[in-house]
Amino acid sequence: MIKLENVTKVYKTGTRALNGISLYINQGEFVYIIGATGSGKSTLIKILNGEEAASKGKVNVAGTDLTKLRTGRIPYFRRNVGVVYQDFCLLPKKTVFENVAFALEVVSEKTIYIRKRVREVLKLVDLEEKAKSFPNEISGGQKQRVAIGRAIANKPKVLIADEPTGNLDPEKSEEIIALLERINREEGTTILMVTHDKELVEKHKKRTILLQDGYIVADLMEGGYVSHD
Amino acid sequence: MIKFFRNIPRHFKEARNGIVRNFAMTLSSASAVTVTLVLIGAFLLVAVNLDSFMTSVEEGVQIHVRIEDTVSEDKISSLQASVEAISGVRSVVYSDKDSELDALIEVYGEEGELFETYRGDANPLKRAFVVEVTDGLLIDEVTAKIEAVPGIFSALYGGSSIIEMMSAFENIKSGGIIFVLILSALAVFLISNTIKLTIFARQDEIRIMRLVGASNGYIRTPFLLEGIFIGLLGAILPIGLVYFGYTYLYTVTGGYFFTPLFTLITPQPFLMYISGALAGIAIIVGLIGSYISVSRYLWWKR
Ligand SMILES: Nc1ncnc2c1ncn2[C@@H]1O[C@H](COP(=O)(O)OP(=O)(O)OP(=O)(O)O)[C@@H](O)[C@H]1O
Ligand SMILES: [Mg+2]
Repeated sequence: MIKLENVTKVYKTGTRALNGISLYINQGEFVYIIGATGSGKSTLIKILNGEEAASKGKVNVAGTDLTKLRTGRIPYFRRNVGVVYQDFCLLPKKTVFENVAFALEVVSEKTIYIRKRVREVLKLVDLEEKAKSFPNEISGGQKQRVAIGRAIANKPKVLIADEPTGNLDPEKSEEIIALLERINREEGTTILMVTHDKELVEKHKKRTILLQDGYIVADLMEGGYVSHD
Repeated sequence: MIKFFRNIPRHFKEARNGIVRNFAMTLSSASAVTVTLVLIGAFLLVAVNLDSFMTSVEEGVQIHVRIEDTVSEDKISSLQASVEAISGVRSVVYSDKDSELDALIEVYGEEGELFETYRGDANPLKRAFVVEVTDGLLIDEVTAKIEAVPGIFSALYGGSSIIEMMSAFENIKSGGIIFVLILSALAVFLISNTIKLTIFARQDEIRIMRLVGASNGYIRTPFLLEGIFIGLLGAILPIGLVYFGYTYLYTVTGGYFFTPLFTLITPQPFLMYISGALAGIAIIVGLIGSYISVSRYLWWKR
Protein backbone atom coordinates (compact mmCIF):
# COMPACT_ATOMS: atom_id res chain seq x y z
CA MET A 1 0.00 0.00 0.00
CA ILE A 2 2.87 2.34 0.90
CA LYS A 3 6.32 1.78 -0.53
CA LEU A 4 9.23 4.18 0.01
CA GLU A 5 12.67 3.47 -1.41
CA ASN A 6 15.67 5.57 -0.44
CA VAL A 7 13.58 8.70 -0.03
CA THR A 8 15.48 11.88 0.70
CA LYS A 9 13.93 15.27 1.27
CA VAL A 10 16.03 18.41 1.21
CA TYR A 11 14.06 21.63 1.65
CA LYS A 12 14.92 24.75 -0.33
CA THR A 13 16.48 26.12 2.86
CA GLY A 14 19.00 23.26 2.72
CA THR A 15 17.52 21.33 5.65
CA ARG A 16 17.77 17.56 5.13
CA ALA A 17 14.50 16.43 6.68
CA LEU A 18 14.66 12.83 5.42
CA ASN A 19 17.82 10.85 4.68
CA GLY A 20 17.24 7.98 2.27
CA ILE A 21 14.52 6.16 4.14
CA SER A 22 12.88 2.96 2.92
CA LEU A 23 9.56 1.77 4.24
CA TYR A 24 6.93 -0.83 3.35
CA ILE A 25 3.45 -0.77 4.79
CA ASN A 26 0.84 -3.34 3.79
CA GLN A 27 -2.84 -2.83 3.20
CA GLY A 28 -4.85 -2.80 6.42
CA GLU A 29 -1.89 -2.06 8.70
CA PHE A 30 -2.05 0.45 11.55
CA VAL A 31 1.33 2.08 12.11
CA TYR A 32 2.61 4.69 14.56
CA ILE A 33 5.37 7.07 13.60
CA ILE A 34 7.22 8.54 16.53
CA GLY A 35 10.33 10.67 16.94
CA ALA A 36 11.67 13.85 18.49
CA THR A 37 10.62 17.23 17.23
CA GLY A 38 12.25 18.05 13.91
CA SER A 39 13.00 14.40 13.13
CA GLY A 40 11.03 14.51 9.87
CA LYS A 41 7.67 13.00 10.79
CA SER A 42 5.52 15.71 9.22
CA THR A 43 7.80 15.79 6.20
CA LEU A 44 7.16 12.08 5.71
CA ILE A 45 3.40 12.65 5.93
CA LYS A 46 3.58 15.48 3.39
CA ILE A 47 5.50 13.34 0.96
CA LEU A 48 2.91 10.60 1.31
CA ASN A 49 0.01 12.88 0.36
CA GLY A 50 1.88 14.78 -2.32
CA GLU A 51 2.12 18.11 -0.49
CA GLU A 52 5.89 17.92 -0.86
CA ALA A 53 7.86 16.17 -3.57
CA ALA A 54 10.71 13.84 -2.60
CA SER A 55 14.12 15.16 -3.64
CA LYS A 56 15.35 11.64 -4.33
CA GLY A 57 14.03 8.09 -4.20
CA LYS A 58 10.79 6.30 -5.05
CA VAL A 59 7.39 6.92 -3.48
CA ASN A 60 4.42 4.69 -4.21
CA VAL A 61 1.15 5.16 -2.35
CA ALA A 62 -2.07 3.23 -3.05
CA GLY A 63 -0.70 2.09 -6.39
CA THR A 64 0.32 5.57 -7.55
CA ASP A 65 3.96 6.36 -8.31
CA LEU A 66 4.21 9.84 -6.82
CA THR A 67 7.62 10.54 -8.30
CA LYS A 68 6.09 10.29 -11.77
CA LEU A 69 2.79 12.01 -10.98
CA ARG A 70 2.07 15.27 -12.82
CA THR A 71 1.18 18.16 -10.50
CA GLY A 72 -2.26 18.46 -12.09
CA ARG A 73 -3.04 14.84 -11.17
CA ILE A 74 -2.25 15.27 -7.46
CA PRO A 75 -5.86 16.19 -6.52
CA TYR A 76 -7.13 12.94 -8.03
CA PHE A 77 -4.47 10.97 -6.20
CA ARG A 78 -5.45 12.65 -2.91
CA ARG A 79 -8.93 11.21 -3.08
CA ASN A 80 -7.30 7.88 -2.17
CA VAL A 81 -5.54 9.35 0.84
CA GLY A 82 -7.39 10.85 3.79
CA VAL A 83 -5.44 13.33 5.91
CA VAL A 84 -6.02 14.51 9.46
CA TYR A 85 -4.03 17.25 11.17
CA GLN A 86 -3.56 18.31 14.76
CA ASP A 87 -5.36 21.60 14.13
CA PHE A 88 -8.53 19.94 12.71
CA CYS A 89 -8.76 22.29 9.68
CA LEU A 90 -12.53 22.64 9.81
CA LEU A 91 -14.36 25.40 7.99
CA PRO A 92 -15.76 27.62 10.76
CA LYS A 93 -18.73 28.87 8.74
CA LYS A 94 -19.96 25.42 7.85
CA THR A 95 -21.84 23.02 10.11
CA VAL A 96 -20.50 19.61 11.04
CA PHE A 97 -22.66 18.10 8.33
CA GLU A 98 -21.49 20.63 5.73
CA ASN A 99 -17.85 20.17 6.66
CA VAL A 100 -18.04 16.46 5.92
CA ALA A 101 -20.20 17.07 2.84
CA PHE A 102 -17.56 19.52 1.53
CA ALA A 103 -15.12 16.67 0.88
CA LEU A 104 -17.72 15.00 -1.30
CA GLU A 105 -18.86 18.18 -3.04
CA VAL A 106 -15.38 19.06 -4.26
CA VAL A 107 -15.08 15.68 -5.93
CA SER A 108 -18.42 16.33 -7.68
CA GLU A 109 -20.54 13.65 -6.03
CA LYS A 110 -24.32 13.68 -6.46
CA THR A 111 -26.23 15.62 -3.79
CA ILE A 112 -28.37 12.60 -2.90
CA TYR A 113 -25.32 10.41 -2.45
CA ILE A 114 -23.64 13.13 -0.38
CA ARG A 115 -26.54 13.26 2.08
CA LYS A 116 -26.55 9.51 2.47
CA ARG A 117 -22.78 9.19 2.83
CA VAL A 118 -22.48 12.06 5.32
CA ARG A 119 -25.10 10.48 7.55
CA GLU A 120 -23.22 7.19 7.36
CA VAL A 121 -19.94 8.87 8.26
CA LEU A 122 -21.42 10.89 11.12
CA LYS A 123 -22.81 7.66 12.53
CA LEU A 124 -19.39 6.04 12.30
CA VAL A 125 -17.70 8.92 14.14
CA ASP A 126 -20.66 9.09 16.55
CA LEU A 127 -21.65 12.70 15.87
CA GLU A 128 -25.14 12.28 14.44
CA GLU A 129 -26.70 14.57 17.01
CA LYS A 130 -24.14 17.33 16.32
CA ALA A 131 -24.79 17.46 12.56
CA LYS A 132 -26.23 20.98 12.70
CA SER A 133 -23.63 22.41 15.12
CA PHE A 134 -20.84 24.72 14.03
CA PRO A 135 -17.19 23.89 14.86
CA ASN A 136 -17.03 26.53 17.64
CA GLU A 137 -19.97 24.85 19.35
CA ILE A 138 -18.30 21.46 19.83
CA SER A 139 -15.33 20.13 21.83
CA GLY A 140 -11.81 19.49 20.54
CA GLY A 141 -12.32 15.74 20.51
CA GLN A 142 -15.53 16.18 18.56
CA LYS A 143 -13.81 18.51 16.10
CA GLN A 144 -11.15 15.91 15.48
CA ARG A 145 -13.85 13.31 14.90
CA VAL A 146 -15.43 15.59 12.31
CA ALA A 147 -12.02 15.95 10.64
CA ILE A 148 -11.60 12.17 10.61
CA GLY A 149 -15.10 11.80 9.22
CA ARG A 150 -14.26 14.24 6.44
CA ALA A 151 -11.00 12.40 5.71
CA ILE A 152 -12.75 9.06 5.27
CA ALA A 153 -15.86 10.37 3.48
CA ASN A 154 -14.33 9.55 0.10
CA LYS A 155 -13.47 6.02 1.29
CA PRO A 156 -9.72 6.45 0.95
CA LYS A 157 -7.46 3.41 0.99
CA VAL A 158 -5.01 5.17 3.30
CA LEU A 159 -5.62 7.49 6.23
CA ILE A 160 -2.68 9.48 7.50
CA ALA A 161 -2.89 11.50 10.68
CA ASP A 162 -0.30 14.01 11.89
CA GLU A 163 -0.61 14.15 15.69
CA PRO A 164 -4.39 13.85 15.68
CA THR A 165 -4.42 13.77 19.49
CA GLY A 166 -1.85 16.54 19.92
CA ASN A 167 -4.40 19.08 21.14
CA LEU A 168 -6.53 16.67 23.15
CA ASP A 169 -6.56 15.44 26.75
CA PRO A 170 -5.90 11.71 27.39
CA GLU A 171 -9.55 10.78 27.65
CA LYS A 172 -10.37 12.35 24.29
CA SER A 173 -7.24 10.81 22.79
CA GLU A 174 -8.56 7.39 23.78
CA GLU A 175 -11.75 8.15 21.89
CA ILE A 176 -9.82 9.10 18.77
CA ILE A 177 -7.66 5.98 18.90
CA ALA A 178 -10.75 3.83 19.37
CA LEU A 179 -12.32 5.51 16.34
CA LEU A 180 -9.22 5.03 14.18
CA GLU A 181 -9.03 1.38 15.23
CA ARG A 182 -12.64 0.94 14.25
CA ILE A 183 -12.07 2.52 10.83
CA ASN A 184 -9.01 0.32 10.38
CA ARG A 185 -10.97 -2.78 11.33
CA GLU A 186 -14.33 -2.09 9.68
CA GLU A 187 -13.30 -0.32 6.47
CA GLY A 188 -9.92 -2.01 6.08
CA THR A 189 -8.28 1.42 5.78
CA THR A 190 -4.50 1.49 6.13
CA ILE A 191 -3.65 3.95 8.91
CA LEU A 192 -0.48 5.89 9.56
CA MET A 193 -0.43 7.98 12.69
CA VAL A 194 2.24 10.40 13.87
CA THR A 195 2.18 10.83 17.62
CA HIS A 196 4.10 12.10 20.63
CA ASP A 197 1.79 10.35 23.06
CA LYS A 198 3.87 7.83 24.96
CA GLU A 199 0.98 6.37 26.94
CA LEU A 200 -1.12 5.83 23.86
CA VAL A 201 1.65 3.97 22.07
CA GLU A 202 2.28 1.79 25.12
CA LYS A 203 -1.38 1.01 25.71
CA HIS A 204 -2.53 0.34 22.16
CA LYS A 205 0.49 -1.52 20.86
CA LYS A 206 0.96 -1.45 17.10
CA ARG A 207 3.81 -1.46 14.62
CA THR A 208 5.93 1.54 15.58
CA ILE A 209 8.49 3.37 13.46
CA LEU A 210 11.01 5.65 15.12
CA LEU A 211 12.47 8.54 13.16
CA GLN A 212 15.60 10.39 14.20
CA ASP A 213 17.27 13.18 12.23
CA GLY A 214 15.60 11.96 9.08
CA TYR A 215 16.61 8.29 9.51
CA ILE A 216 14.44 5.34 10.50
CA VAL A 217 16.28 4.07 13.56
CA ALA A 218 13.74 1.48 14.72
CA ASP A 219 10.79 -0.36 13.22
CA LEU A 220 9.10 -2.53 15.86
CA MET A 221 6.46 -4.87 14.51
CA GLU A 222 5.26 -5.68 18.02
CA GLY A 223 5.10 -2.00 18.98
CA GLY A 224 5.77 -0.20 22.24
CA TYR A 225 7.42 3.12 22.89
CA VAL A 226 11.09 3.49 22.11
CA SER A 227 12.98 6.04 24.12
CA HIS A 228 14.65 8.59 21.93
CA ASP A 229 15.28 11.55 24.18
CA MET B 1 -20.11 17.39 -18.17
CA ILE B 2 -22.90 16.29 -15.85
CA LYS B 3 -20.52 16.78 -12.97
CA PHE B 4 -19.82 20.30 -14.18
CA PHE B 5 -23.50 21.22 -14.04
CA ARG B 6 -23.88 19.55 -10.68
CA ASN B 7 -21.18 21.87 -9.35
CA ILE B 8 -22.63 25.12 -10.72
CA PRO B 9 -24.81 26.02 -7.71
CA ARG B 10 -21.89 25.24 -5.39
CA HIS B 11 -19.60 27.56 -7.35
CA PHE B 12 -22.14 30.38 -7.39
CA LYS B 13 -22.54 30.11 -3.63
CA GLU B 14 -18.77 30.40 -3.13
CA ALA B 15 -18.51 33.31 -5.56
CA ARG B 16 -21.29 35.17 -3.75
CA ASN B 17 -19.48 34.66 -0.44
CA GLY B 18 -16.29 36.09 -1.93
CA ILE B 19 -18.10 39.18 -3.17
CA VAL B 20 -19.95 39.80 0.09
CA ARG B 21 -16.81 39.40 2.20
CA ASN B 22 -14.74 41.88 0.16
CA PHE B 23 -17.52 44.20 -0.80
CA ALA B 24 -15.41 47.37 -0.64
CA MET B 25 -12.71 45.86 -2.84
CA THR B 26 -15.31 44.51 -5.23
CA LEU B 27 -16.74 48.01 -5.61
CA SER B 28 -13.36 49.67 -6.08
CA SER B 29 -12.20 47.35 -8.83
CA ALA B 30 -15.64 47.44 -10.42
CA SER B 31 -15.27 51.23 -10.59
CA ALA B 32 -11.93 50.79 -12.34
CA VAL B 33 -13.76 48.73 -14.91
CA THR B 34 -16.38 51.49 -15.10
CA VAL B 35 -13.83 54.18 -15.88
CA THR B 36 -12.16 51.99 -18.47
CA LEU B 37 -15.40 51.06 -20.16
CA VAL B 38 -16.73 54.63 -20.25
CA LEU B 39 -13.58 55.62 -22.14
CA ILE B 40 -13.71 52.55 -24.35
CA GLY B 41 -17.40 53.19 -25.03
CA ALA B 42 -16.82 56.82 -25.99
CA PHE B 43 -13.90 55.79 -28.14
CA LEU B 44 -15.95 53.11 -29.88
CA LEU B 45 -18.77 55.54 -30.64
CA VAL B 46 -16.38 58.07 -32.15
CA ALA B 47 -14.27 55.52 -34.00
CA VAL B 48 -17.15 53.63 -35.57
CA ASN B 49 -18.84 56.87 -36.66
CA LEU B 50 -15.60 58.24 -38.09
CA ASP B 51 -15.02 54.98 -39.86
CA SER B 52 -18.37 55.05 -41.58
CA PHE B 53 -17.82 58.72 -42.43
CA MET B 54 -14.44 57.96 -43.92
CA THR B 55 -15.86 55.15 -46.01
CA SER B 56 -18.39 57.52 -47.53
CA VAL B 57 -15.71 60.15 -48.15
CA GLU B 58 -13.37 57.60 -49.65
CA GLU B 59 -16.02 56.72 -52.19
CA GLY B 60 -15.76 60.27 -53.48
CA VAL B 61 -12.04 60.09 -54.02
CA GLN B 62 -11.34 59.42 -57.68
CA ILE B 63 -8.37 59.38 -60.03
CA HIS B 64 -8.85 61.23 -63.30
CA VAL B 65 -6.88 59.33 -65.94
CA ARG B 66 -6.41 61.03 -69.31
CA ILE B 67 -5.74 58.88 -72.39
CA GLU B 68 -3.19 59.69 -75.15
CA ASP B 69 -4.89 60.87 -78.35
CA THR B 70 -2.76 58.35 -80.30
CA VAL B 71 -4.67 55.42 -78.76
CA SER B 72 -7.22 54.26 -81.31
CA GLU B 73 -10.87 53.84 -80.41
CA ASP B 74 -10.73 50.03 -80.62
CA LYS B 75 -7.76 49.79 -78.19
CA ILE B 76 -9.66 51.62 -75.42
CA SER B 77 -11.22 48.50 -73.91
CA SER B 78 -7.91 46.62 -73.68
CA LEU B 79 -6.33 49.71 -72.09
CA GLN B 80 -9.21 49.82 -69.60
CA ALA B 81 -8.58 46.16 -68.78
CA SER B 82 -4.91 46.80 -68.02
CA VAL B 83 -5.84 49.66 -65.67
CA GLU B 84 -8.42 47.47 -63.96
CA ALA B 85 -5.75 44.82 -63.44
CA ILE B 86 -3.73 47.14 -61.18
CA SER B 87 -4.09 46.13 -57.53
CA GLY B 88 -5.97 48.68 -55.44
CA VAL B 89 -8.25 49.64 -58.31
CA ARG B 90 -11.91 49.13 -57.53
CA SER B 91 -13.63 50.41 -60.65
CA VAL B 92 -12.79 52.03 -63.97
CA VAL B 93 -15.39 54.01 -65.95
CA TYR B 94 -14.67 55.25 -69.48
CA SER B 95 -15.63 58.79 -70.34
CA ASP B 96 -15.44 60.01 -73.97
CA LYS B 97 -14.67 63.55 -75.16
CA ASP B 98 -18.30 64.59 -75.01
CA SER B 99 -18.82 63.45 -71.43
CA GLU B 100 -15.54 65.13 -70.44
CA LEU B 101 -16.85 68.39 -71.86
CA ASP B 102 -20.13 67.92 -70.01
CA ALA B 103 -18.21 67.45 -66.76
CA LEU B 104 -16.15 70.58 -67.42
CA ILE B 105 -19.22 72.66 -68.20
CA GLU B 106 -20.86 71.42 -65.02
CA VAL B 107 -17.89 72.47 -62.90
CA TYR B 108 -17.96 76.03 -64.24
CA GLY B 109 -21.73 76.43 -64.02
CA GLU B 110 -23.16 79.45 -65.91
CA GLU B 111 -19.85 80.47 -67.47
CA GLY B 112 -19.31 76.89 -68.55
CA GLU B 113 -21.81 77.45 -71.35
CA LEU B 114 -18.99 79.24 -73.22
CA PHE B 115 -17.24 75.92 -73.76
CA GLU B 116 -20.19 74.63 -75.80
CA THR B 117 -18.46 76.01 -78.90
CA TYR B 118 -15.80 73.33 -78.56
CA ARG B 119 -18.28 70.46 -78.87
CA GLY B 120 -17.64 68.20 -81.82
CA ASP B 121 -14.40 67.92 -83.79
CA ALA B 122 -12.89 71.01 -82.14
CA ASN B 123 -12.98 69.37 -78.71
CA PRO B 124 -9.41 69.67 -77.36
CA LEU B 125 -10.12 67.50 -74.29
CA LYS B 126 -8.70 64.02 -73.98
CA ARG B 127 -10.72 60.88 -73.43
CA ALA B 128 -10.50 59.68 -69.85
CA PHE B 129 -11.06 56.93 -67.29
CA VAL B 130 -12.56 57.70 -63.90
CA VAL B 131 -10.88 55.32 -61.46
CA GLU B 132 -11.99 54.52 -57.92
CA VAL B 133 -9.65 52.85 -55.43
CA THR B 134 -10.31 50.23 -52.78
CA ASP B 135 -8.51 52.16 -50.03
CA GLY B 136 -8.07 55.94 -50.06
CA LEU B 137 -4.66 55.62 -48.45
CA LEU B 138 -3.40 53.69 -51.48
CA ILE B 139 -4.33 56.45 -53.89
CA ASP B 140 -0.79 57.80 -54.36
CA GLU B 141 0.61 54.42 -55.19
CA VAL B 142 -2.20 53.49 -57.54
CA THR B 143 -1.97 56.81 -59.37
CA ALA B 144 1.74 56.31 -60.03
CA LYS B 145 1.14 52.78 -61.35
CA ILE B 146 -1.59 53.98 -63.70
CA GLU B 147 0.57 56.76 -65.02
CA ALA B 148 3.22 54.19 -65.97
CA VAL B 149 0.81 52.28 -68.23
CA PRO B 150 1.62 52.94 -71.95
CA GLY B 151 -1.12 54.93 -73.63
CA ILE B 152 -1.90 56.95 -70.52
CA PHE B 153 -1.28 60.68 -70.85
CA SER B 154 -1.70 61.60 -67.18
CA ALA B 155 -3.27 60.47 -63.94
CA LEU B 156 -4.31 62.96 -61.28
CA TYR B 157 -6.39 62.81 -58.16
CA GLY B 158 -8.17 65.59 -56.39
CA GLY B 159 -8.72 66.07 -52.64
CA SER B 160 -5.27 65.54 -51.24
CA SER B 161 -6.50 67.29 -48.09
CA ILE B 162 -9.04 64.51 -47.65
CA ILE B 163 -6.24 61.99 -47.91
CA GLU B 164 -4.28 63.83 -45.24
CA MET B 165 -7.35 63.87 -43.05
CA MET B 166 -7.74 60.16 -43.55
CA SER B 167 -4.23 59.33 -42.46
CA ALA B 168 -4.68 61.62 -39.45
CA PHE B 169 -7.80 59.65 -38.50
CA GLU B 170 -5.86 56.41 -38.90
CA ASN B 171 -3.32 57.72 -36.39
CA ILE B 172 -6.04 58.77 -33.97
CA LYS B 173 -7.56 55.32 -34.27
CA SER B 174 -4.37 53.40 -33.54
CA GLY B 175 -3.49 55.80 -30.71
CA GLY B 176 -6.96 55.25 -29.25
CA ILE B 177 -6.59 51.47 -29.46
CA ILE B 178 -3.30 51.59 -27.57
CA PHE B 179 -4.87 53.86 -24.95
CA VAL B 180 -7.79 51.47 -24.54
CA LEU B 181 -5.45 48.49 -24.23
CA ILE B 182 -3.47 50.22 -21.48
CA LEU B 183 -6.67 51.03 -19.60
CA SER B 184 -7.88 47.46 -19.95
CA ALA B 185 -4.58 46.18 -18.59
CA LEU B 186 -5.03 48.48 -15.61
CA ALA B 187 -8.52 47.14 -14.98
CA VAL B 188 -7.21 43.57 -15.25
CA PHE B 189 -4.54 44.42 -12.69
CA LEU B 190 -7.06 45.89 -10.24
CA ILE B 191 -9.39 42.93 -10.55
CA SER B 192 -6.55 40.49 -10.08
CA ASN B 193 -5.68 42.35 -6.87
CA THR B 194 -9.21 42.05 -5.56
CA ILE B 195 -9.26 38.36 -6.33
CA LYS B 196 -5.91 38.02 -4.57
CA LEU B 197 -7.57 39.39 -1.43
CA THR B 198 -10.44 36.96 -1.82
CA ILE B 199 -7.97 34.13 -2.17
CA PHE B 200 -6.16 35.34 0.92
CA ALA B 201 -9.43 35.43 2.85
CA ARG B 202 -10.21 31.91 1.73
CA GLN B 203 -6.76 30.40 2.12
CA ASP B 204 -7.90 27.92 4.77
CA GLU B 205 -10.75 26.84 2.62
CA ILE B 206 -8.46 26.33 -0.37
CA ARG B 207 -6.06 24.34 1.80
CA ILE B 208 -8.92 22.12 2.90
CA MET B 209 -10.14 21.77 -0.67
CA ARG B 210 -6.71 20.53 -1.63
CA LEU B 211 -6.63 18.24 1.38
CA VAL B 212 -9.76 16.45 0.22
CA GLY B 213 -8.71 16.31 -3.43
CA ALA B 214 -10.47 19.21 -5.20
CA SER B 215 -9.02 19.71 -8.67
CA ASN B 216 -7.50 23.05 -9.65
CA GLY B 217 -10.39 23.66 -12.02
CA TYR B 218 -12.85 23.21 -9.19
CA ILE B 219 -10.98 25.57 -6.90
CA ARG B 220 -10.61 28.14 -9.67
CA THR B 221 -14.22 28.34 -10.86
CA PRO B 222 -15.80 30.42 -8.06
CA PHE B 223 -12.99 32.96 -8.37
CA LEU B 224 -13.51 33.23 -12.11
CA LEU B 225 -17.22 33.77 -11.53
CA GLU B 226 -16.38 36.48 -9.04
CA GLY B 227 -14.11 38.16 -11.61
CA ILE B 228 -16.85 38.06 -14.23
CA PHE B 229 -19.29 39.51 -11.75
CA ILE B 230 -16.95 42.40 -10.91
CA GLY B 231 -16.50 43.09 -14.62
CA LEU B 232 -20.22 43.10 -15.32
CA LEU B 233 -20.95 45.23 -12.26
CA GLY B 234 -18.50 47.78 -13.62
CA ALA B 235 -20.12 47.65 -17.05
CA ILE B 236 -23.61 48.71 -15.97
CA LEU B 237 -22.90 52.44 -15.82
CA PRO B 238 -20.86 52.68 -19.06
CA ILE B 239 -23.46 50.74 -21.03
CA GLY B 240 -26.24 52.98 -19.70
CA LEU B 241 -24.22 56.08 -20.43
CA VAL B 242 -23.32 55.05 -23.97
CA TYR B 243 -26.82 53.83 -24.70
CA PHE B 244 -28.83 56.80 -23.50
CA GLY B 245 -26.11 59.35 -24.19
CA TYR B 246 -25.84 58.46 -27.84
CA THR B 247 -29.60 58.23 -28.32
CA TYR B 248 -29.90 61.70 -26.80
CA LEU B 249 -27.10 63.09 -28.98
CA TYR B 250 -28.69 61.60 -32.05
CA THR B 251 -32.07 63.20 -31.35
CA VAL B 252 -30.60 66.59 -30.44
CA THR B 253 -28.36 66.85 -33.52
CA GLY B 254 -30.98 65.41 -35.85
CA GLY B 255 -28.64 62.65 -36.92
CA TYR B 256 -25.67 64.56 -38.34
CA PHE B 257 -22.67 66.58 -37.28
CA PHE B 258 -21.91 70.06 -38.71
CA THR B 259 -22.73 69.05 -42.28
CA PRO B 260 -25.21 66.55 -43.67
CA LEU B 261 -22.16 64.84 -45.16
CA PHE B 262 -21.21 63.63 -41.68
CA THR B 263 -24.27 61.59 -40.74
CA LEU B 264 -24.33 59.75 -37.43
CA ILE B 265 -24.99 56.02 -37.45
CA THR B 266 -28.64 55.35 -36.50
CA PRO B 267 -28.84 54.23 -32.84
CA GLN B 268 -30.48 50.86 -33.53
CA PRO B 269 -29.08 48.25 -33.82
CA PHE B 270 -25.72 50.04 -33.53
CA LEU B 271 -26.07 50.61 -29.77
CA MET B 272 -26.97 46.96 -29.25
CA TYR B 273 -23.64 45.94 -30.76
CA ILE B 274 -21.70 48.54 -28.77
CA SER B 275 -23.38 47.46 -25.50
CA GLY B 276 -22.65 43.84 -26.33
CA ALA B 277 -19.04 44.70 -27.03
CA LEU B 278 -18.70 46.56 -23.71
CA ALA B 279 -20.24 43.66 -21.76
CA GLY B 280 -17.91 41.29 -23.60
CA ILE B 281 -14.86 43.35 -22.74
CA ALA B 282 -16.01 43.52 -19.10
CA ILE B 283 -16.33 39.74 -18.92
CA ILE B 284 -12.96 39.16 -20.54
CA VAL B 285 -11.21 41.69 -18.30
CA GLY B 286 -12.79 40.08 -15.20
CA LEU B 287 -11.90 36.58 -16.34
CA ILE B 288 -8.29 37.41 -17.14
CA GLY B 289 -7.85 39.35 -13.89
CA SER B 290 -9.07 36.54 -11.69
CA TYR B 291 -7.41 33.82 -13.76
CA ILE B 292 -4.02 35.46 -13.29
CA SER B 293 -4.40 35.60 -9.51
CA VAL B 294 -5.78 32.12 -9.00
CA SER B 295 -3.35 30.45 -11.34
CA ARG B 296 -0.41 32.16 -9.74
CA TYR B 297 -1.63 31.03 -6.32
CA LEU B 298 -2.37 27.46 -7.38
CA TRP B 299 0.95 27.26 -9.15
CA TRP B 300 2.85 27.77 -5.92
CA LYS B 301 0.85 25.25 -3.93
CA ARG B 302 0.94 21.55 -4.51
N1 LIG C 1 8.64 23.92 4.55
C1 LIG C 1 9.85 23.75 5.13
N2 LIG C 1 10.90 24.45 4.65
C2 LIG C 1 12.13 24.29 5.18
N3 LIG C 1 12.41 23.47 6.20
C3 LIG C 1 11.40 22.74 6.73
C4 LIG C 1 10.07 22.84 6.21
N4 LIG C 1 9.27 22.02 6.92
C5 LIG C 1 10.06 21.42 7.82
N5 LIG C 1 11.35 21.85 7.71
C6 LIG C 1 12.49 21.37 8.48
O1 LIG C 1 12.64 19.99 8.28
C7 LIG C 1 12.94 19.31 9.48
C8 LIG C 1 11.89 18.26 9.76
O2 LIG C 1 10.65 18.89 10.01
P1 LIG C 1 9.31 18.13 10.31
O3 LIG C 1 8.21 19.13 10.32
O4 LIG C 1 9.19 17.01 9.36
O5 LIG C 1 9.55 17.57 11.76
P2 LIG C 1 8.56 16.82 12.76
O6 LIG C 1 9.18 15.53 13.05
O7 LIG C 1 7.20 16.79 12.20
O8 LIG C 1 8.61 17.73 14.04
P3 LIG C 1 7.44 18.04 15.10
O9 LIG C 1 7.40 16.88 16.02
O10 LIG C 1 7.91 19.26 15.80
O11 LIG C 1 6.19 18.25 14.35
C9 LIG C 1 13.02 20.39 10.56
O12 LIG C 1 14.38 20.73 10.73
C10 LIG C 1 12.25 21.55 9.97
O13 LIG C 1 12.79 22.76 10.43
MG1 LIG D 1 5.31 17.67 12.75
